[in-house]
Amino acid sequence: MKFLRTALLLLLAAVALFPFFVMISVSLQTMPEVYSKSLLPSVPHWENYATAMHNGPWGRYLLNSLYVTVLSTGISLLINALTGYVFARMRFPWKKTLFTLVLIGMMIPTQVTLVPLFVLVKSLPLAGGNNILGQGGTGLVDTYAGLILPYIAGSFGVFLTRQFYRMFPRELDEAAKIDGCSRFGTFLRVYLPLSGSILASLAVLKFIGAWNEYSWPLVITNTGSGRITTVQLALTTFRNEGEIFWNQLMAATVVCTAAVLVVFVALQRHFVAGILAGSVKE
Amino acid sequence: MRRAGHKREYDAREAREAYLLLAPFGVFFLLFVLYPIVRSVADSFTDYSLASRNWVGLKNYLRLFRDRAFLLSVRNTVLYAAGSIVPLMALGLGAALLVQRQSRVMFAARAALMTPYVTSLVAVSMVFLYLYDPTTGAFNKILSAVGLPRQQFLYDPSQALWCLVAMNIWKNFGYVMILYLAGLTGVPQSLLEAASLDGAGVRAKLVHIQLPHIRPVSYLLGTTLCVECFKTFEPVRLMTSGGPVNATTTITYQIYIRAFSEFKMGYASAMSVVLLAIVLAVTLVNLRLGHQLDDGGDEG
Repeated sequence: MKFLRTALLLLLAAVALFPFFVMISVSLQTMPEVYSKSLLPSVPHWENYATAMHNGPWGRYLLNSLYVTVLSTGISLLINALTGYVFARMRFPWKKTLFTLVLIGMMIPTQVTLVPLFVLVKSLPLAGGNNILGQGGTGLVDTYAGLILPYIAGSFGVFLTRQFYRMFPRELDEAAKIDGCSRFGTFLRVYLPLSGSILASLAVLKFIGAWNEYSWPLVITNTGSGRITTVQLALTTFRNEGEIFWNQLMAATVVCTAAVLVVFVALQRHFVAGILAGSVKE
Repeated sequence: MRRAGHKREYDAREAREAYLLLAPFGVFFLLFVLYPIVRSVADSFTDYSLASRNWVGLKNYLRLFRDRAFLLSVRNTVLYAAGSIVPLMALGLGAALLVQRQSRVMFAARAALMTPYVTSLVAVSMVFLYLYDPTTGAFNKILSAVGLPRQQFLYDPSQALWCLVAMNIWKNFGYVMILYLAGLTGVPQSLLEAASLDGAGVRAKLVHIQLPHIRPVSYLLGTTLCVECFKTFEPVRLMTSGGPVNATTTITYQIYIRAFSEFKMGYASAMSVVLLAIVLAVTLVNLRLGHQLDDGGDEG
């Protein structure tokens, strides 16, 4: 029985990891080897990585991805936590309705709003050469702001932090109030410093999500300029030429994937905690 | 200070402060979530394109029923979801049962099984594009090596969609595993031990104790996976462009093509609204039956 379990587990792990093995293997092969019968390189050709990274301004692509990911994760984390606190702890009219709206926002697939979102970002008044009516220019198309701003509106984090803050004892608020803290002060000095675990989970989820994002960058980026091209978009450019240089494509794929796998392996516990917290029912 | 007990009364100052603190998120949410939804619905009743934007009533929706590519995309999306969900749940549950013991080895095993889930869909699409390639791909190399006939995979209209389904199962079973793992740890150990004493085997314990206990998880997964499948876009755009001959075109891919290469924004909006209706219907059924939506504003 134990033997069977181990065998099954090994088989499953092999299936899960086989494509990664192939990805790395191909990234180290010469093109004749890619066309040969073999699955392995005779000697590892590390120079494929250098060639792939010179296929375009990959330094810029990586920095673009890092910049967009860190900025959108950081800003949305703060705003989400503050909003989660207000919904968890404060009393005000229309609270239930507003929170239901937030929950509905969580369910809307981005693909549904891709078209109007693009039109909106393109025609924001007074941005990117637009006049006050939002006409004439390109708005925030092909800018970092256009790429980042819509990510910040995600409401998953609001839901998550609200769940978390509701478990805090109310005495915390009372004590802070007696000490003369405003509600914002209470959030900043009492709640936020105690939010390490939930914010770590949320940060890992958001980081991986933003780094892996494809649809929105695809729509909002003018790939010709390469100014805000992220790694995911850059990966797809290897296919545009007639013959696909699989070894270079796989080398670039390894580079893009490595970044996210490092974050995942280092913070696996937080990642799993985040996924679970997001789907637990009360 | 606080007027406890009166559910309908609010401290005006506290309410003012609450709205002020909600403002940053509110602005983003209004602008980038609510407005686009409303706009999507409104545009779906117009012929919005580069040149014009006139009210056309239900014309876009009526056209959808005669649009062969769109009807095919609905069929493909449904097949994709139906073909993915059951194997995903079975495989995820199997994996969870295999790695549920707490140990360092199992922790590493879980990480290995979750690697596909955290890898970007673009990277995964690129790797599978290679694996499935008819001339140089790894799958055909293996098939040849063991003496089986080579396949056309993504170039074969009868295989292409199932190739994408297989990739989807591979990519997401780690997510299913994680949720089932959490469900399984909730099963009381004493119950399982008592069953063992009564002579219940592994299968009996699974069918009579564990499966009923994790039913809420299965239920939640059914909904989440269904919605995820209906959103599928990247593999289609990157691996098949909807082909061969529309064999893999999905609803989201149709939306993308109509809006961003044909610039028929109005028509694409009508498709978006159909997708939205499907997703909301699936989610609402879950809310109604699973009581997932909690009470929202309960405390004073």
